[in-house]
Amino acid sequence: MSWVNEANWDRIARVVLGLVLLYLGWSGVVGGGLGTVLKVLGFVPLLTGLIGWCPLYSLLKFRTN
Amino acid sequence: MDESRFQEIIHNHPRPLIVDFWAGWCMPCRAMEPALKRVEKEFAGRVDLLRIDADQSPELLSSLRIFGIPTLVVYHGGREVARQTGAQNEAGIHRLFEAALAGQLTGPAPLSPVERTVRLVAGLGLIGLGLTLSGGWVWIGLGALVSFLAVYDRCPIWRAVTSWLKGRLAN
Repeated sequence: MSWVNEANWDRIARVVLGLVLLYLGWSGVVGGGLGTVLKVLGFVPLLTGLIGWCPLYSLLKFRTN
Repeated sequence: MDESRFQEIIHNHPRPLIVDFWAGWCMPCRAMEPALKRVEKEFAGRVDLLRIDADQSPELLSSLRIFGIPTLVVYHGGREVARQTGAQNEAGIHRLFEAALAGQLTGPAPLSPVERTVRLVAGLGLIGLGLTLSGGWVWIGLGALVSFLAVYDRCPIWRAVTSWLKGRLAN
């Protein structure tokens, strides 16, 4: 698909990173304000990895695939 | 090839036809070629493949509004029934050849192995997250949904339900 701007390795790395951040945030391993940030921030790489499209890449006219 | 010659071929060809717009420098075209040849062989005598070098026919590509290669355009009875731009895997090419025979595109587009892997990793990861967190039923549900999206195109129940729904909506 032409709108996909992430390479395969990029997508898998994002999904894994998202899961790790979500685990750190929601399990309480990282607490306080940072933990709250991770609870939300983890969804960003997870979702961008799942759909294969990164809005920041689009803005910067960059792609890894 | 000019447009009038192309239209003549399309309208007078005795069998369904798939036109492959390619170029020698195009890496995705070359990557797709072995699978395309295998499927062409499988459908030999039923569906024909016409290969057109995009560099030799830029006006034709422009008139057909083809802006990227590889592009496969499917014709049945002189009428375009489907087209796909970008390298296709064997299952995707097979689906286009079946569309040429049937005169229409049927069934969901097959997921690529990478797409399937990404969805499975995410889905199983979310289920794992749900199992480690207390009260993680939302995570498990979300993970199950994402995991299902990795295999939905192979699920017979999903196929039966969607075809029933399509039938209901068509009537």
